[in-house]
Amino acid sequence: MNVKEYISTGIVESYVLGLASEEERREFEKMCEQYPEVLQARINFELAMEKQAMENSISPMPGIKNKILEKINISNPASIQTAKVRNLNWLKYAAAACLLLLAGSLYWNISLYSKNQQLKVDYDNTVAKLSGMEKEVQLITNNPNVKMASMKGMEVSPQSFATVYWDTTSHDVYLMVNNLPKPASDKQYQLWALLDGKPIDVGLIDNEYFIKETRLLIKAKNIQNAQAFAITLETKGGNPTPKGTMYVMGNL
Amino acid sequence: MLQQRNEKAFSYLYDNYSGALLGTINSIVLDNEIANDVLQNVFVNIWKKIESYDTAKGRLFTWMLNIARNASIDEVRSKGYRDSKKNEHIADDGDVPGAVTGPAIDDVGLRKVLSKLKGELRVLVDLSYFQGYTHEEISKVMNIPLGTVKTRIRSALTQLRTMIQ
Repeated sequence: MNVKEYISTGIVESYVLGLASEEERREFEKMCEQYPEVLQARINFELAMEKQAMENSISPMPGIKNKILEKINISNPASIQTAKVRNLNWLKYAAAACLLLLAGSLYWNISLYSKNQQLKVDYDNTVAKLSGMEKEVQLITNNPNVKMASMKGMEVSPQSFATVYWDTTSHDVYLMVNNLPKPASDKQYQLWALLDGKPIDVGLIDNEYFIKETRLLIKAKNIQNAQAFAITLETKGGNPTPKGTMYVMGNL
Repeated sequence: MLQQRNEKAFSYLYDNYSGALLGTINSIVLDNEIANDVLQNVFVNIWKKIESYDTAKGRLFTWMLNIARNASIDEVRSKGYRDSKKNEHIADDGDVPGAVTGPAIDDVGLRKVLSKLKGELRVLVDLSYFQGYTHEEISKVMNIPLGTVKTRIRSALTQLRTMIQ
């Protein structure tokens, strides 16, 4: 049998379509190796079948592709290998995340430590300030001879409030500023004692007080007698008689 | 990386050949929903067996097409398929089950080409290619000598080639 005859027996189609017996297949594969014409005939029929199948394509239902992908991810040994690789990747990322967390934690600790140090300094300052204030308060509260005048805010500043403590024996005057608006730099508060309707200068309130607020009580000038006290806002340095706006006033 | 490459390769095969394979599967199982199920298994099998594919023995598509054909025939021969077809037929018109040749299905893919063959040749190709019977089985069923079955099928196939080329 020559090659041409062999090709025309239908073995080519039988082989490609999967209808040849095992023996026929082995023989055909040998013939393909030996005779390029046989191989070419096979390829030609394969291409014809492929073209025919392509022309009769039917689109698969949507979602089929993903279902297959899911299935081959489980069953394909190659994907088990990649799963291991993926696990290592995961560990790598986890380690990187841990390092980042550690670094973040360290930074946080350091910043907390420095914040803590700052708070300690602030706390010490506050304690010192408080103990100074306490001593001043004790000077007054432990003294039965001290009289008090609560000065309430006037219409210009109703929230304002200040207190005068007057020691009837030593005639010392202490002023506590509970709430007064911060004065402009060219102004200054002045405390007056009122006796029979006449104002007597008791002293100026240092503007520093409104900046530092360190002193609870301000020692004013001694006064022999008074019926009431008041604070006015005067030009800096004060005036012999009040000219500015009255902020607070209260009777003894 | 490997996973990505695998998915790319799979996507290439699927995007290019799933339609053609489904057409062939459908021409054998004659039910679109079942054909889609078979297509799933076919691609899973293609993926599992891809390393056994030998370029010397044929083109990749031929290899895939034969996997699809074998899977389709297995499906048609399965009990589940026969039961579902039986019910369908009884529900439809009480037709005799198992009668898969007829004018209604002759316009499906390769069957359309097959319908141009002469009566007996057409039955032979249908039994061997679409229903997967061996030459020996056909010889027994049709009471034709085995050698005759072989030569007639070969003859039918050469005619088939001239029709699709």
